[in-house]
Amino acid sequence: MNLLDILIAAPLLGFLITLALPKGNASLIKMFTLVFSLAVFAGSLLLVGPTLDRPGTMTWVTDAPWIATPAIRYHVGMDGVSLWLVLLSTFLTPISILLSWKYIDHRVKEFFAFLLLLEFGLAGVFVALDLFLFYVFWEVCLVPMYFLIGIWGHDRRIYAAVKFFIYTMAGSVLMLAAILYLYGKAGTFDYPAILLMMESGKLALSHTEEMLLFLAFFLAFAIKVPLFPLHTWLPDAHVEAPTAGSVMLAAVMLKMGTYGILRFCLPMFPNASKENANWIIVLAITGIIYGALVALVQPNMKKLVAYSSVSHLGFVVLGLFSGNQWGLDGAVYQMLAHGISTGALFMLVGFLYERQHSLEIKDYGGVSTPAPWLSTVFLVTTLASIGMPLLNNFIGEYLVLQGAAKVNIWWAVFAATGVILSACYMLWMYQRTFFGETPDEVKHHMHDLKGREWACILPLLALMVWMGIYAQSFLPSIGASNKTVLDRTQPTGAALIVALPATAEVANNGR
Amino acid sequence: MDAKFFPQTAELLRFLPEIILTLAGTLLLVMEGFKKDEDSRSLISMLTAVAIGLAMYGTVVAYQNPGMAFSNMLISDGYAAFFRLVVLAVGLLTVLSSSAYLEREKSNTGEFYVLVLFSLAGQCLMAAANELMMVFIGLEVSSIASYILAGYLRDDKRGNESALKYFLLGSFATAFLLYGVAWVYGMTGSTNLVEIRSAIEKGVPSMTMVSAAAGLMLVGFAFKISAAPFQGWAPDVYQGAPAPVSGFLSAGPKAAAFAVMIRVFQTAFEAITPRWEPVLWTMALLTMTIGNFAALWQNNIKRMLGYSSIAHAGYVLVAVTTHSTTGTAAAMFYLAAYGLMNYGAFAIVTHVAGKGEERVTLDDMKGLSQREPAVAAMLTVFLLSLIGVPLTAGFFGKFYIFKAAIDSNMVWLTALGLLNSAVAAYYYLRVLVVMYMHEPETTEHVSTIPGGLKITMWVTAAATLVLGVFPGLVLDFATRFAVLSK
Amino acid sequence: MQLWLIPLLPLAGAAINGFTGRRTGKTVQSAVAIGSVLLSFLWVVKTLMALMPLEGPYVEKYFTWIASGALTVGVDFAVDRLTAVMLLVVTGIGTLIHIYAAGYMHAEGGYSRFFAYLNLFMFFMLILVLGGNFLILFVGWEGVGLCSYLLIGFYFQKKSASDAGKKAFIVNRIGDFGFSLAMFLIVVTFGSLDFPTVFAQAQALPVEQSAGIVTAICLLLLVGATGKSAQIPLYVWLPDAMEGPTPVSALIHAATMVTAGVYMCSRSAALFMKAPIAMDTVAIIGLATAVLAATIGLVQNDIKKVYAYSTVSQLGFMFLAVGLGAFSAGIYHVVTHAFFKALLFLGAGSVIHACHHEQDMRHMGGLRKKIPHTFAVLLIAALSIAGFPLMAGWFSKEEILGAAHQHHIWMYWLAWFTAGMTAFYVFRSIFLTFFGEYKGHAHPHESPWSMIGPLYVLAILSVVGGYLFNIPHILEPVFRGIVPEGHIEHTLTDYVLGTAPGIIGIFLAYVVYIAKPGMADSIKESFSGVYTLLYNKYFVDEIYDAALVHPIERSSRNFFWKIVDVGIIDNGFVHGFSGSALNLGGLLRRMQSGAIRNYAAWTVIGVVCILSALTVLGGGR
Repeated sequence: MNLLDILIAAPLLGFLITLALPKGNASLIKMFTLVFSLAVFAGSLLLVGPTLDRPGTMTWVTDAPWIATPAIRYHVGMDGVSLWLVLLSTFLTPISILLSWKYIDHRVKEFFAFLLLLEFGLAGVFVALDLFLFYVFWEVCLVPMYFLIGIWGHDRRIYAAVKFFIYTMAGSVLMLAAILYLYGKAGTFDYPAILLMMESGKLALSHTEEMLLFLAFFLAFAIKVPLFPLHTWLPDAHVEAPTAGSVMLAAVMLKMGTYGILRFCLPMFPNASKENANWIIVLAITGIIYGALVALVQPNMKKLVAYSSVSHLGFVVLGLFSGNQWGLDGAVYQMLAHGISTGALFMLVGFLYERQHSLEIKDYGGVSTPAPWLSTVFLVTTLASIGMPLLNNFIGEYLVLQGAAKVNIWWAVFAATGVILSACYMLWMYQRTFFGETPDEVKHHMHDLKGREWACILPLLALMVWMGIYAQSFLPSIGASNKTVLDRTQPTGAALIVALPATAEVANNGR
Repeated sequence: MDAKFFPQTAELLRFLPEIILTLAGTLLLVMEGFKKDEDSRSLISMLTAVAIGLAMYGTVVAYQNPGMAFSNMLISDGYAAFFRLVVLAVGLLTVLSSSAYLEREKSNTGEFYVLVLFSLAGQCLMAAANELMMVFIGLEVSSIASYILAGYLRDDKRGNESALKYFLLGSFATAFLLYGVAWVYGMTGSTNLVEIRSAIEKGVPSMTMVSAAAGLMLVGFAFKISAAPFQGWAPDVYQGAPAPVSGFLSAGPKAAAFAVMIRVFQTAFEAITPRWEPVLWTMALLTMTIGNFAALWQNNIKRMLGYSSIAHAGYVLVAVTTHSTTGTAAAMFYLAAYGLMNYGAFAIVTHVAGKGEERVTLDDMKGLSQREPAVAAMLTVFLLSLIGVPLTAGFFGKFYIFKAAIDSNMVWLTALGLLNSAVAAYYYLRVLVVMYMHEPETTEHVSTIPGGLKITMWVTAAATLVLGVFPGLVLDFATRFAVLSK
Repeated sequence: MQLWLIPLLPLAGAAINGFTGRRTGKTVQSAVAIGSVLLSFLWVVKTLMALMPLEGPYVEKYFTWIASGALTVGVDFAVDRLTAVMLLVVTGIGTLIHIYAAGYMHAEGGYSRFFAYLNLFMFFMLILVLGGNFLILFVGWEGVGLCSYLLIGFYFQKKSASDAGKKAFIVNRIGDFGFSLAMFLIVVTFGSLDFPTVFAQAQALPVEQSAGIVTAICLLLLVGATGKSAQIPLYVWLPDAMEGPTPVSALIHAATMVTAGVYMCSRSAALFMKAPIAMDTVAIIGLATAVLAATIGLVQNDIKKVYAYSTVSQLGFMFLAVGLGAFSAGIYHVVTHAFFKALLFLGAGSVIHACHHEQDMRHMGGLRKKIPHTFAVLLIAALSIAGFPLMAGWFSKEEILGAAHQHHIWMYWLAWFTAGMTAFYVFRSIFLTFFGEYKGHAHPHESPWSMIGPLYVLAILSVVGGYLFNIPHILEPVFRGIVPEGHIEHTLTDYVLGTAPGIIGIFLAYVVYIAKPGMADSIKESFSGVYTLLYNKYFVDEIYDAALVHPIERSSRNFFWKIVDVGIIDNGFVHGFSGSALNLGGLLRRMQSGAIRNYAAWTVIGVVCILSALTVLGGGR
């Protein structure tokens, strides 16, 4: 029972407590969830130090039996990649809560409770080291988001929620099948153990087996990413979701897919990953360009940002399958960066919505005049998302493209057009929203950022700048973790030696 | 071994549950004749509950004295005990949730409980049957009682219709079963499962005839577990029968039928496994598919649950198809889990439906989460469990079944089954949608939940969640006893 | 040496004005803005004094920015003589223009915002020239693009302004696309982005006679340069950029930012010298741009547009120089151009200011008397750009023409002819504005000294800048060993020949617009076809719109979104699947007629199937 376990369990506890709170007392509920989630975040900061000391190996490992038959273990641990993703979740949860302070006026209790439940699932997904446990957390994330969209969303919320649920479910059942199959072969769900067996040849998959298993896992992840052409649930989900929902969805949940690819697909099925890399990269690049082009012509802000996410996540997948350090580091960095900047974008769109109750770009214009600070903040976020240097996304995109270029310059050529297009759609939206004459409609509703809104957005802005200027706070740990992945994907003599500490770690902290 | 005129005590102990249930049934029947006033009714239901409790205790006793009874007609082993407990538990839940319901429907008479007890006796007998005649008798006892229960509300047209349907089709199918039994006897000269096996292994005149016999018996069982293409009755009956009875039928008799089916096919017909395996394979797939896809359209929750119970029968059939110990264990766990969650769901329907079961459509559930948050939350648990979302019993049920299927290399069946469950998510979600995402239409005051029903809900909900986190509680027994089914 | 202070000072200024702008008064704001830039200028001077003679580069490494795998990119600043020259130009001219702007913008709203942006621009521009590796350079590169976007769209209520800003940014992005690809190739080829490492390795490589990796790199860098420095085919944003306040046009779109491309190419001389094909491309693009822009400049009526096209044209000259390997000549022209073009714009600003924001020269004229100071300085600027002997512009132009003469004679004559056109259109603007009768309705008034002062300083520089800074000599150590030695010897005839076009151009302008008024119109009549073509800038914008912008937008909306995404993927597949599931469900449900007869029938069918299956399977032994 170490700090990590406590931090995983805490949100669940908070969820239950929140359910127990009196329904009527909204302010108490808000206050409690906010304070609670802030405490969790504070706690999660304590995770950083020890993990950064040995980012290449699993830290904070707990490995306890959960179910006897079949042997399912509560086995968690974090390395340099999961660390930041966990922090991303714990960091954005309090912000999402604060964000919904006024926005959510009915069925308050359930809403904030579900946010905590979501945090529980997310935190778990990124640290689970037992395939089964991973699947459990994976599914757990589904439920609260389903309700968040379905209950507090806009007009077509139910359609969007069900679509979201079924889409993801369809993918994840195949993953379950694959997990079961692996169990059949390996006799365990324990991920490090399975990897070790693969290293030592105790567990050998035939070419076909590896292919099918890879595809089963990959499909589940690709839907979550979402990778073109499996993306059509995303625009609906985003448009209909309440602000906090969109923020968590874009910022963290999409990363479940890419994280899954990085953590499971690449190390477990190195050959399949290589053999499939080409068409996957083609899809990723298609997604980059296609997403951008479609974003270009969206009349609805949230849809626009949603399609931009399709484009941005395309970069991540491209990086993941470029199969070199640059690509992987870039991909992970892009995951975090996209989490921050797109989260912020949805937040700001939410602010606009709270003022004018419209997501249609055409209903805005000249917002800069009545709300200069809002427009400034929006601009900075826009710049971040279009990869302006000294802001977070740039580093991710740069490394991804550099990695792609190393493999094949043409991939970089095509992918980089996405960077041009991103400027087109974002700046066009920005212009139509914030520039020009201010209609009376807007004059009447629009006011500049308020204290609470500042409190929500400032941390994100700070991170955009920090991640953009001092990447070294994050990159070394990410790089170290990715190296272990690479050593497996490019099986060298070193592979085994590198693999061992990660699992020796398990052995030590295990019992 | 030679049969004495008087059975030994041990044999009686091994038969204890059935004895208790039958005696209690008879006594209550007599008692019903004399007392007709209100409070005796509640007394009767109370006594029934006690009787079932005793029967459970009897099961434990029987389990502690393992072995054959009555010249190997019955077998009292862990496997039997497991299923006896399952059906008894379902029966208990039924009794708990029924009395208030019957009050509401102005037909709270003792017969109901008596019938429940007899039906349970039959089911327990099936669970313990080691011999085809016993199988048949158990099946009939439980069925005939069930037929009447299905139409228990005399002046309810739907009820009567469904009862009639159930009865006609039921007897039709049972005829096949009996015919099959006769053939087997003709082929092997025995009705004892073990002897049949050895006979077949030694070699019988015509393997084809044996297989045909097996086929005929399979029809009988398939009907009871509502497997395709004999599932037709299920939706109509579950829709027409009183909600508590529907719950009872969907859980108890089904479990018993599976228990005996597994025993028969894994013991008696083990030798011809290669013949029936593909048949069951197909049947499983068909059943899942028909159940799930047809359910997509249902607006009546009882009917929807009817189809869903077909689908779930399909899942269990997957486990049976594997004819492996893990498969059997999975089936046992699943039936237990399914009994809990599905009865829970029906219990909530019982409550929400209101007088005369007026309100059983999706629209009637609108905004339930705001009218009765607790009820909605519990139904959510049941539905998520039926979908198979982790941390619920239903998830582990599916998980073990499909794991067993994978272990015996039924990859395709697994994939298709899992995709099926993804489809299934859709119709369960529709209920969640109306409960949580629509505003309530009626502002009428909430009717209070009668105690027994409340207990049923809470117990089943709690159990569903507990088994969702600690499936070992049940699975360990299942795995221990599964091997005994051979 | 605390090089970091140089960019950080303006950044501080930007931050102060940006955050406190709503509370402080205009005096404070302008003081902060000017002060920060002035301090940075002084710091530059002090640093350079200390670093003299600065034969080789002086480098300061601060911290690692990106480290991934084999690649490590640090935040490094480096100063060599090339950087030194750019630093002085940027901060020097920058200071002057800030002072001027303080006066010019006084009546405008968003005063603090304006200066915040302007200072921010200084910050990025200084990063650009100080950067010790390609990525830091790229940071500045993108940054100045951003500030240009902000400042062009400064009057954001005006659609034309925000359009122009957006256009500038996006066109530059296209350039940056090339630049970044070049960086990827550099890393793949040389394994680093640090200038010393890359160039040292490049030196070792053989000259690529046929297109190779280095050629590819250089061409991609060129793409970047054409974006930033407004060369064919990406020059289209610069004329529109005139939507911005005039000081911006002077600082960003004349003196500093637009020359970044020239700087970057000269910085990468070591690479370019290995890629003759790329070099020729640079030269040709530069020359073509010079000619094209000059011809357009001949007929524009908006005084700022004239100077804008003039800028494009002059940048073309610089690229010509670079392409010919006369890097120092290119930088030489960067410097002198910074003087006289900044002066031209600021002068034009003063004129516009005087005429109450009238920009059309047809509504000016006769301002000679009304705003004498402005007239004087503009005249000097005009002479300088026209290449009047011994003016600043003359020196650099001579260098370039000389280089051209050495290489391809046809280039020389084209350049020569263009120089003539330059002289002509500049003096056309002078004559139209200051001579003849005043045709406007406003009451022109001379600008305040805060504006005139800087003009005079620039005027002096436009005159003596030539000898004062003998750039080719200064830069000699920078290109030593990279560019083959051998200084171009100018004979007297060269000088005469080189001076001729300027004089002729001025004379023709005099003839057309002073001596024989109305001649202009008659020419217009007789060459109406050519005139329309030039007046509409060869319809390039229209062509781009028709060929790229609209197709992309339309196909995105009508094909990708409506057909592919909504139609095929979502309705087709997603709803297709769910739909067919529902249909199948409907079908199966219909089996459920509720009639016992059917059920019985099904049962029988089932029995038959099962029995046959069971008996047949296993061969019916």
